[in-house]
Amino acid sequence: MAEQPTGLRSWIFTTDHKKIGVMYLVTALVFFVVGLLLAAVMRTENLDMARKTIIIGPYLYNVFFTIHGAAMVLFWMIPVLLGFFANYMIPLMIGAHDVAFPRLNALSYWFYVGSGLIAVCGLILPGRLDIGWTGYAPYSLVGGANTAFYVFAVHLLGASSISGAVNFITTIITLRAPGMTWGRLNLTVWGLLGAFIIQLVGVPVLAAAVTLLLFDKYLGTSFYNAFKGGNPLLYEHLFWFYGHPAVYVVALPVFGIVSDIIATFARKKIFGYTSMVIAIMLITVVGFETWVHHLFVAGTLNWSRVVFMWATIFIGVPTGIKIFNWLATLHKGSIELTAPMLYALGFISLFTIGGVTGVANGLVGFDISVHDTHWIVAHFHYVLAISMSMLIMGGIYYWFPKFTGKMYNEKLAKFAFWLTLIGAMVAFFPQFIIGYDGIPRRYWKLPVEYTPHMRIAAIFSYIAIIGFFLTLYNFLHSAMKGKPASSNPWNSKSLEWQIPSPPPFYNFEKIPVITEGPYEYGKPEGEAPKGH
Amino acid sequence: MENVAHGGAQAVHHHEVELSIWPLIVGIGAFLVPISFMVHFSWEAPSTFALLGAGVAVVLLLVGLFGWVNEVHAKKEEVGLSKVAIVVFIISEVALFGGLFGGYFYTMLLSPSWPPVSTPEGVPPIELALLLTFFLVTSSAWMHMAETKLEHGDMGGFKTWLSVTFLFGLAFLVGMAYEWNHLIGDGFNISVNTYGTFFYTITGFHGSHVIVGLALQAFLMILALGGKISKKKQTLTKVTGLYWHFVDIVWLLVLSMIYVIPYFKVGQ
Repeated sequence: MAEQPTGLRSWIFTTDHKKIGVMYLVTALVFFVVGLLLAAVMRTENLDMARKTIIIGPYLYNVFFTIHGAAMVLFWMIPVLLGFFANYMIPLMIGAHDVAFPRLNALSYWFYVGSGLIAVCGLILPGRLDIGWTGYAPYSLVGGANTAFYVFAVHLLGASSISGAVNFITTIITLRAPGMTWGRLNLTVWGLLGAFIIQLVGVPVLAAAVTLLLFDKYLGTSFYNAFKGGNPLLYEHLFWFYGHPAVYVVALPVFGIVSDIIATFARKKIFGYTSMVIAIMLITVVGFETWVHHLFVAGTLNWSRVVFMWATIFIGVPTGIKIFNWLATLHKGSIELTAPMLYALGFISLFTIGGVTGVANGLVGFDISVHDTHWIVAHFHYVLAISMSMLIMGGIYYWFPKFTGKMYNEKLAKFAFWLTLIGAMVAFFPQFIIGYDGIPRRYWKLPVEYTPHMRIAAIFSYIAIIGFFLTLYNFLHSAMKGKPASSNPWNSKSLEWQIPSPPPFYNFEKIPVITEGPYEYGKPEGEAPKGH
Repeated sequence: MENVAHGGAQAVHHHEVELSIWPLIVGIGAFLVPISFMVHFSWEAPSTFALLGAGVAVVLLLVGLFGWVNEVHAKKEEVGLSKVAIVVFIISEVALFGGLFGGYFYTMLLSPSWPPVSTPEGVPPIELALLLTFFLVTSSAWMHMAETKLEHGDMGGFKTWLSVTFLFGLAFLVGMAYEWNHLIGDGFNISVNTYGTFFYTITGFHGSHVIVGLALQAFLMILALGGKISKKKQTLTKVTGLYWHFVDIVWLLVLSMIYVIPYFKVGQ
């Protein structure tokens, strides 16, 4: 065993999956803060519909929601899940010393940082991106925005995602410890595997879509140029072929983490493990057959609208199975309401509201009335943005003792949870009403009668943001000054809790031999946990 | 896989490295490529800066990748995980070409005629394409010969067949360059109509994959001449072989979709 290097060198030249994971976490949290601050400014702009400019004008409003969307989806949620959680947890959960390709893993991280720097250029340098995180042609081609920022940020991030996907899929296939069968993997690993498969197949298509955008802008090609026989709808198709499954890239790992948290704190074996795995894989596959619902009002053919409506609604089935399985796991469990558990329960409630409105959106008839209105904003903030971001906080709390070796402040964690939950629940609800009235989104100002709605939204969004900032303070403070944590404070049966906190450099002194799954609760106390 | 018998994965992974400078070097190189592009096209700085940036990027990328592979190859034993990884990677390549061909079909089906009427006579040049096909398909067979020789430990035969593979691949590229040059001279360029747009984009994407394949073969040759490839160190050769066969299969798709279908001038 080599001596452990220290100092700055040990971080920037590292190939250790745990250090790379922590670097992902810190970087992603920086982008999360950027996204939150941009949201706060936009909400402030909405405080009074009668006054013209409050802080930013209409142009900067467009820039802000572009970077807000990109930062939150591409630079916060996906990297924190597929960068931090995957890096830190997969080798520990499958019983490996590291990932299959440690150097490639480091390169994935640097691609991500490079991409983030270019995205920041898109916020501050002239030719700011005001094209939405979707970058729809033709506006991204004919507007004043510097579309190259957008394209290159997607390219580098795509390189990061694809190399990460290749690395982790290979790791899960080849580096499982003896006895770690597919049926004994944590659901977090299954969820991450599904997400990596989506990345592997989806990201290249997005990369192709934006490359063609670059060609149209700088080489005079005619992919999306209607004057020369091209079709801007082609961009929407290619974009959403990845853009919609990207939602499941976030959702599947989150589903896995929720399952792990609930099993641990209900002290019960997860209900319906096999159906959970089948549901994850079903979502992975069917997720690629729903993208046209983003184009229901764009002039797509009627038969395709019907087909994709059915596929969209069908996704509700495996998702519903997961929700019922969680509830069944909770049923008659010995529930312990720690902060991670609160986040898991909060997630289920927010996600259910978002999911049910999602089924409604999937219906062509209903979608035609609410397409591109504030209803959609409310829907995806419930189903994706807030619920998933909150659960990510819960996941960080859950493994906080493991990766820092310290305990977080439980009281502050719970207080911040309630602030965020109440803030988020109320903040987005008015937008369901505004959207139901048919008011389109992405406008700087709404009709004056919506001032009260948007005031409620603004005030409660501040509350949610304060909650998030308290959570971040808790992380930072506890990581430095928290009380030392034991190796397994939650008495979990999962493999990552059977080694010291924080894990030693090689994770396992000797690769363990696995004899049972991660959720074997309810057996007589004193029975040896798996691994030795 | 053998490991299924006892229900886990078998690959023993020696955690041999903790620090490596190469990922950061490659990362900086990759970051400088788009920056150089933007320096010229977006920030309108003199093109010397862009060329300088691109030059530094290329040097960093080459040095970084060389140092990287050298570091990996210095190990005594191979685990051979790359053979799994390349298959996974090829799935993402399939998706990339799937996206491009999907766009091609979409545009073709919405067009009143294919290729559009503004396409000059003699396009697509199908005879030359068939010659290119000959070079690439046979080079795939030569690559297989090289792999077989290596499996038998015949290093001389390996180097010979690898050289033949490389030369046939190179002949493909030269033919493609000739074709592009000729077509552009005839007024069929990338912005003439949607067919020209897709023609150059898809053949260009495929050609860039041929270049990567040739670079891998050249690198294998350097390693083989330095005595760093043997019967016990086959992984990189297997990876190159799989990639090269994939590039070959994609060409058959390019041939049928981009050359053969427009050759019959649907709807004109």
